[in-house]
Amino acid sequence: MTINIRRLGVRPLAALLLAGSVLSAPLPAAAEDSDTLVIGRSMDVNSLDPARAFCDTCQFYLTAVYETLITLGEDNKSLVPNLAESWEVNDDFTEFTFHLKDAAFADGSPVEASDVVWTFERLKNLKGSPSFLMDGLVSAEAVDPRTIKITVEAPNSEFLNKVSAPYTGIVNAEVAKAAGAIGDETAAEADKAESWFMENSAGSGPFALAGYSPEAELRLARNDAYWGEAPAFSEIVVTQIQDAVSQAQALETGQVDIAMQIDPDTAKSIRSPDVVTEVVPSFNFVYIGFIPGAKGMADVLTPDVREALALAVDYDGMLDFTVGGNGKKQAAPIPNGFPGTAGLTPRSQDIEKAKEMLAAAGASDLKLVAGYPNDNVYGVDFNIMMQKLQQDFKAVGVELELKPLTWAVWREELGTGEWPITAVYYAPDYFGSGQYAAYFAMVDGYPWTKRASVGKPELVVNAAETGIYAKALASSGEAADAAYAELADEMMKDTIILPLVSPDLVLAHRSDIEGVRYSACCNLPLAEIKRK
Amino acid sequence: MLRYIVRRLIGIPFLLLGVASVAFLLSQTTKGDPLAALVPERMMSNTEVVNAVKAEWGLDRSLPVRYFIYIGNLLQGDLGTSFATRRPVATDIAERLPATLELVISAMIIGTVMGFSLGLLSARFRNTVTDGSARMFALVGSSLPIFWSGLILLYLLSVRFPIVPGTGRLPPRTTPPPEVTGFYTIDSLLAGNIPLFLEVLSHLALPAFVLGWAVTGIITRLVRSSLIEGLSQDYARTARAKGAPERVVLIHHVLRNALIPVLTVLGFTFAYLITGAVLTESIFSWPGIGSYTVRAAASLDYPAIGGVTIVGSVAFLMANLITDIAYAWANPRIKVH
Repeated sequence: MTINIRRLGVRPLAALLLAGSVLSAPLPAAAEDSDTLVIGRSMDVNSLDPARAFCDTCQFYLTAVYETLITLGEDNKSLVPNLAESWEVNDDFTEFTFHLKDAAFADGSPVEASDVVWTFERLKNLKGSPSFLMDGLVSAEAVDPRTIKITVEAPNSEFLNKVSAPYTGIVNAEVAKAAGAIGDETAAEADKAESWFMENSAGSGPFALAGYSPEAELRLARNDAYWGEAPAFSEIVVTQIQDAVSQAQALETGQVDIAMQIDPDTAKSIRSPDVVTEVVPSFNFVYIGFIPGAKGMADVLTPDVREALALAVDYDGMLDFTVGGNGKKQAAPIPNGFPGTAGLTPRSQDIEKAKEMLAAAGASDLKLVAGYPNDNVYGVDFNIMMQKLQQDFKAVGVELELKPLTWAVWREELGTGEWPITAVYYAPDYFGSGQYAAYFAMVDGYPWTKRASVGKPELVVNAAETGIYAKALASSGEAADAAYAELADEMMKDTIILPLVSPDLVLAHRSDIEGVRYSACCNLPLAEIKRK
Repeated sequence: MLRYIVRRLIGIPFLLLGVASVAFLLSQTTKGDPLAALVPERMMSNTEVVNAVKAEWGLDRSLPVRYFIYIGNLLQGDLGTSFATRRPVATDIAERLPATLELVISAMIIGTVMGFSLGLLSARFRNTVTDGSARMFALVGSSLPIFWSGLILLYLLSVRFPIVPGTGRLPPRTTPPPEVTGFYTIDSLLAGNIPLFLEVLSHLALPAFVLGWAVTGIITRLVRSSLIEGLSQDYARTARAKGAPERVVLIHHVLRNALIPVLTVLGFTFAYLITGAVLTESIFSWPGIGSYTVRAAASLDYPAIGGVTIVGSVAFLMANLITDIAYAWANPRIKVH
């Protein structure tokens, strides 16, 4: 058979190929000499207003734009000066006095005590997501233009840690007020400044907001009036790249300098010699939560049964199954390395004991349902994790039905006790164990007490924890560590929260980039990043 | 014809009101926490935060009150403020729609040109290697899930053999053209910036091909079968008897008649491409309306859901209208009434 190439339309085909070659000509500009740092990330911004924001992206954005009084050192433990050059604390941890540096906002006006007072009052009164950081605030007073005295209603040795959280970044009060921001008690109803904060910034940080297009791009420009050491890049662009594989491809091609959400498995697939990956432990963790207050579970999901189920879990296998071994086991709902966790021993599997305990409790043929968000968080696919849990429970004769849900449906069903087991995750807001006590401790009125009890707190409340938590907040140093260790032990005995995996984090960047590190408070400190 | 078009256009606002009402009621009665996009998971047990958010966004009011406020605002052209982006929905859509339309229209052009070309080749060389190859190429495009073909082609053509650039409409370091239409191709040309135009095209090429390839199959099959059917008709035989070459019979006599069923499919194809754009936008980090819609639906962002429903409805109604008009153009025997 002969083929008439003219009939086959080879000329148009050639034209098409030629056009293709023209289109393919402009490849990504070489980044080596660029003054712009490009970061690939799936952004989860809920707001760019420091008093309303609450997300991982918000943490590093706020750190770059709004400076806090204190920040976390590179060792991820020590508190170091930021806007405050020094501070004093009274003996019972109820009064905190901060002395400001000679710093200025991006518009050149000085950072004064009145700005700090206004920022903290707005943070409290706005009743936004990070308002809990100002819980217990009695007064914030400007002693003089450079001195602020904060009074809290009860001893709180963790207050200094709280003011290192990026959400407490100091706002230029005059600029924000002109944009409709309000700091007094009417803030929750009267403050209308959020839309302004989505397009502008009013901080003293090394960068200022240059533009934000939701789920597309976040652009920062160097603050030329910055009072400290000028950052290396004149511009930072965070570009929306949805998944880990696409982020890795963008990194390999040089389209981005840093990819923030590459999991260890994807990192292994990167072949480019121009890309550096480093796996570091994170302070994030994924856990399952038992809900004894769920429908029909009050007499079923007893402390003994919960303990038996905890013994059924193959924790080492879970690490391999979910993150390919790139993670750590975690004993209590306080991350490894945080105060009080040094001497804790993670749980381990004991199938025989689990079976004995279930038999003794008359729960040998238990059937349970797990409702959980159908999501992949920090590289952990919740479906895979729950399938592993299903296998582990099956080994002790417990049937687990899996119910993956959208976040919206999960949230609605969580409060109604539709299922007795769920799975969620937690990332720290600052370095300090108090935030975990305030969230996971079985103290009446605390978030997870409400979730686990579904209106029947007597099922889960652990009376000892209130006193231990108060003791921790009234002490510091080793005494506080000991109190948090005691609290962690009690939370383990509660067997309501079962941490399964603390996934490692991959720092992935082009080889000409340096200064990329993970911070427990601030995620990725942008001002420290340089091009070699 | 003009009266018909005017009558159809007048009906559109009423249809949109109905669509907006249904979308509002459906989204409000859908199972799920309405605060999903407004209150982070960790804060959902914090009564103080939840109450403040409900008051701020009017979610503490009854459903009928919320409905009348929504419709009232809608009649004044206010689509509301997105729960997630905290910006007017109209602004969000205006910013994203051109990106999606540029992608979808490009994909439509690629899909149609490839579909027609392959259909013509298949019909002309029926049951030959050419026919088989063309149909196989089209079939593969239609059968492969977009998320798979997109990722594989992106890996092959951008990472392994860097012929095309990576994701997005432009490299993050490149400044977009001054906005006139929101279509980067047109705006870069209007700015007289040919290098930027080529850069825009290079970024558009792969996502548009992936999306267009997915609809090539159906167009190829339809064009092929319509042409084969046409080629066996009496008028084609007559043309051949009068000495017309096969190419002339195909192009000048049969093709126009074969257009009618194809035009119907093109209307549906547009709808398919809008839907398919969701995945393509996600893979290619294309800041369009598709990813916005998915996020809005998953987080029960009512104002955004309502906004994209209305815009989508307008697109479908206009696509139907254009299809009907094109019918009449393609076949004078069909009159619009």
